[in-house]
Amino acid sequence: MTLSRILSAGALAFALGTTALTGAASAQDATLDLVGPLAQYKIYVAENTAELVANTRAFVEAIKTGDLEGAKALFAPTRTSYEAVEPIAELFSDLDVAIDARADDYEHAEEDPAFVGFHRIEYGLWVEGTTEGLEDYADKLMADVIDLNNRINALTFPPEVVVGGAAVLMEEVAATKISGEEDRYSHTDLWDFEANFAGSKVIFDLMRPLIEDDDPAFVAQVEANFQAVDDILAQYETADGGYVSYLELTDADRTVLSAKVNSLAEDLATLRARLGLG
Amino acid sequence: MTGRRQLLAGLGGAGGALAVAGRPGWADEDAAGRQVADAPTGHADAAESVPFYGPHQAGIVTPRPANGIVAACDVVAGTPDELERMFRTLTQRLAFLTRGGIPPELDPRLPPSDSGILGPVIPPDNLTVTVGLGASLFERLPWLLPHMPRRLQRMTQFPNDALDRELCHGDMSLQFCANLQDTNIHALRDIMKTLAGFLVLRWVQEGDVPVIPPNPDGTTESARNFLGFRDGSANPDSNDAGLMADIVWIDGRNDEPSWVHGGTYQAVRIIRNFVERWDRTPLSEQEAIFGRRKASGAPFDGETESDVPDYTRDPAGTVTPLDAHIRLANPRTPQSRENLMLRRPFNYSNGVTRAGQLDQGLLFITYQADLEKGFIAVQTRLNGEPLEEYIKPVGGGYFVVLPGVRDAGDYLGRSLVEAVRSTPTPPT
Repeated sequence: MTLSRILSAGALAFALGTTALTGAASAQDATLDLVGPLAQYKIYVAENTAELVANTRAFVEAIKTGDLEGAKALFAPTRTSYEAVEPIAELFSDLDVAIDARADDYEHAEEDPAFVGFHRIEYGLWVEGTTEGLEDYADKLMADVIDLNNRINALTFPPEVVVGGAAVLMEEVAATKISGEEDRYSHTDLWDFEANFAGSKVIFDLMRPLIEDDDPAFVAQVEANFQAVDDILAQYETADGGYVSYLELTDADRTVLSAKVNSLAEDLATLRARLGLG
Repeated sequence: MTGRRQLLAGLGGAGGALAVAGRPGWADEDAAGRQVADAPTGHADAAESVPFYGPHQAGIVTPRPANGIVAACDVVAGTPDELERMFRTLTQRLAFLTRGGIPPELDPRLPPSDSGILGPVIPPDNLTVTVGLGASLFERLPWLLPHMPRRLQRMTQFPNDALDRELCHGDMSLQFCANLQDTNIHALRDIMKTLAGFLVLRWVQEGDVPVIPPNPDGTTESARNFLGFRDGSANPDSNDAGLMADIVWIDGRNDEPSWVHGGTYQAVRIIRNFVERWDRTPLSEQEAIFGRRKASGAPFDGETESDVPDYTRDPAGTVTPLDAHIRLANPRTPQSRENLMLRRPFNYSNGVTRAGQLDQGLLFITYQADLEKGFIAVQTRLNGEPLEEYIKPVGGGYFVVLPGVRDAGDYLGRSLVEAVRSTPTPPT
């Protein structure tokens, strides 16, 4: 699944390769130049949310049939298609909270009745060690994911949100992921990392033809940082394409990841301006 | 304009909007016309600066301003070229920040070049940023290891310590000192932004020292720590260049690699004070624990803070207990002279502990030419002192402070980078 997302992103970038190569001189030009990349990105997001619906269905099914191990195995791979498109998904803040909020977003943490979604289920599966009592959370997650898919399909993507999304994903990693607090019960954080990076890289790759003539050094630096992240994450991949526990990430690798994420966040924060967007 | 003022007055009633319009009715109550929303005045030193260039880094023997921060980071640099690039970028930022000026104005569609927290013109405000390197950096990079200064080591746990690994060590220490804490915070944010690819923060501790105006006769007093005692009474005179050469600066007498001449060792300790318990301790016991009078700071055989205790006349400790803090720290014997160090501490207040106690203490910083004869020997002598009941070191680290930046053509760490380059590559 991870592989298919990367391949499809690569194919999109390739398809776009010969289209717009001119720099963004004015906002109007920029908007015109962005039509192709935005359309491609919309397809990418639609693929991911469709995948999210399908995978959530299997995840929910496992929970409701009491298949604890099956549900645990599906938790991380189901989340990745959400994490990859988070800049768009979080435009619907009600659903983002319902789907992806963490216990410390609530005053009473895990005991808070408002705490629902992926991480509430994660808590049940790993800490409480049972699927019992998770059925309602599972049903609600399914409904919310379907709602999200429908709303995203009906959405006109604002260019500044898409372009800014490349940096937003890095801010997400820098602020809450690098510490391992996102998937604190399952320690599947590296799956989320990879999805966040892949989601950011897709946006960058789609925009690259519009900026690389103006500033090849910038493009090279961003690509080198993405590559450094890939190289580190590759060391933690498992044979089946997943990732080992976050607890196995060494301090040294976490430090390098942190520096690369911060560097990418700084660089990608200039992407909107480079494309003439306010 | 008049119309707008009238509108504001009409909307604001007796609230803040009236003040914007000039508060016509209240002006004589407060000649300055000041109100809550106005920034505080009384800080006239913003234009003062500490020279950045020199044989030694600033922020060590230069006067201690009211606010400090120590930030410890890890360094992401795998090659001598990357290390040099990091040092050059850092030097460039520090040269600008300590001198002040106007940051570049960018296209408003871009993130601004500066955080803006000091306004559009950055005042120097006596800012110094002092850069040190930790043992972990040398130990991780095989090409750097042969150049590790001989006394540099990872801070070890002393018997009374309760070290929190999240508050310890680091590849690099950055000590910020300035009149205002905002100036330090501005510099810290600038460095973390401009060196995002090189530096990853491990821990940050802020602190301050109370401002005490000089006495009418021009003399000054030591500031008090959060135990209420004067701290620094016996500090060596930092204006005595000869003394500083003996105590603080590494030179040819120190059996250290020549690249570090002009540098010094920095020991940082985050020392929590159990202030509630301390405040419930009898005054006489507090004074016996320190070995000084609390109000005046004078030793027991003296009148003023600056009087020097004479332990030769008190060998049994009947005047100053043998285990009093100041007596253990500095027994004032010919042998203990080699243990002298320069202290530059700040008080910190970090809120509240899980137990509902105040989390306050001392951001203790010392400088010495020999880490082992300085801080480590003194702390070893202090092990088991009665003060331990009231204090708990929880963090910190040891660092070697780089030599100074001589001029605009020089950069921090140049001597180290050159030493690395002049060494044949070790077989891998």
